[in-house]
Amino acid sequence: MSKKNSVFDGLFGDNTVLSSLMVISPVIMCGDKVKNALALIYAFSAITFISVLIGSFVPKKLPYAVKITIYAFISSLVYIPVKLMAQQFFPTVINRTGIYFMLLAVNSLIMVQTETKFYRMKKSRMFFSLIFYILGFDVVMLITSVLRELIAYGTVYEKVVDADILISGIGMPFGGFVFLGLFCGLYRKIRFIVRQRNGGKKNVSGN
Amino acid sequence: MQKKTKLQRFVWIDIMITLMTLEIMQYFYYGIRAVVLSGICVAVSVIAEIISIRMMKRKFTADDLMCVSDALIISLMMPAVMNFRIAGIACVFAVVVAKNVFGGRKNMIFSPSASAYVFMLTSWKSQLLMFTTPHTHTGISEKAVNLVSSASHTFNTSGKMNFTDFEIIMGNVTGASGAVSILLLAVSAVILILRRDISAGAFTGTIAGTVIPAYFAPMCDSRYDSIKYSLVANMVLFASIYIISDKRIAPKRSYYAFFYGFFIALTAYIVTMTTAKENVIVIMSLLFTPISLGFKSLEKHIENLKKEEAKAFE
Repeated sequence: MSKKNSVFDGLFGDNTVLSSLMVISPVIMCGDKVKNALALIYAFSAITFISVLIGSFVPKKLPYAVKITIYAFISSLVYIPVKLMAQQFFPTVINRTGIYFMLLAVNSLIMVQTETKFYRMKKSRMFFSLIFYILGFDVVMLITSVLRELIAYGTVYEKVVDADILISGIGMPFGGFVFLGLFCGLYRKIRFIVRQRNGGKKNVSGN
Repeated sequence: MQKKTKLQRFVWIDIMITLMTLEIMQYFYYGIRAVVLSGICVAVSVIAEIISIRMMKRKFTADDLMCVSDALIISLMMPAVMNFRIAGIACVFAVVVAKNVFGGRKNMIFSPSASAYVFMLTSWKSQLLMFTTPHTHTGISEKAVNLVSSASHTFNTSGKMNFTDFEIIMGNVTGASGAVSILLLAVSAVILILRRDISAGAFTGTIAGTVIPAYFAPMCDSRYDSIKYSLVANMVLFASIYIISDKRIAPKRSYYAFFYGFFIALTAYIVTMTTAKENVIVIMSLLFTPISLGFKSLEKHIENLKKEEAKAFE
């Protein structure tokens, strides 16, 4: 299977957060607890998936600026029912995540990747590729939040774990930057090793 | 090149000598536990340095021993009764996250010791800012009792220090074990400046940035006391020698270095006066890193312009 043509790229080879460094602000600011992460995962997945699918019906002949405005409008409309649902499922988390919840409506997958990637694919292929790109964000968000919550607060999903020593700085935004930076480095190293083993290019960018 | 490499090693030796004197003072006031704490910091730092340098596919050379002095600086900023594991984590953070992630000793952006201190301040504030009184010797595995706030905290909140001048000079006050020995720090500053191991500009700038606001906006009734206590409290002297004047971070030219130190100290003084927070100068030294980088970039730009002018003249 060619590296370039894989629909699974969004999950590993070209991860939204770790490879492209997109949508990192919610991961850094709100990815300190699993509850926050689940709310953001739900919102990101729902808004991105529905918006990109609806946006794919926008005529391609329209000027770029107009198309982007329409995508933003669509995602803003999708945001309304998603937020109403989130208030039912995650009533306490929505206030805590603040502006980062709203910013998901104009995330890079909708605003940038649609034109450069998704809408250049066939509909069926775009559908699966989009799912894996969304999963890429979800997995990173979940792993980050589990580890940060464990290290910073000694809990997982607010259940107390017998952690010996807590590093509360990891729960703060600067800790999020540090953690995500190290995570990115680790990801790129693993990707480099995997690609080398698969006989891919030896000079992979970022390594 | 060879000369430059040797110079870096000599800088390290000079700094180590001054740090060792503080370490002896620490042993005198707090016993063997303080020495063990420093030993753990050094061991963890060296191991972290070796591992991270190997991961970067580089060789560990004598110049990389700067991690030892950074570890000693970190240990001297802690209470002698600090949890060993916390100290170890802080040292790993300093070596790996604050230094080697950015490319190691040749690409220093942040002061490793200041980064580690701020990291501890955000994660273990209560352990970091509670101290035993001098001459309280805690055993290596003993749990510390009767912890008190530092003299800096008392000064920040009340404008007073309940210690005589002699006690302050000798470091017989409550606080971070290495950062309160004022006489030793003053001697160390003179030696390191004369041997050009630290940036004289940054040091004088820091002192000026503390003394001037302490005179014009005193933190206590007497201007003299305000200047005196502002210099000896909140790790001002310690940070001005070992963190702000660190030649790896501070701008090269004394003129720029002076203003770099001055603005750090001035901002730290204002924040201390308005919020009564302890050891703000260490946090400020970290936050002002972009200014140092800006000055360094300006220095390079000026050097390039001079070279171009010289070429054009030829």
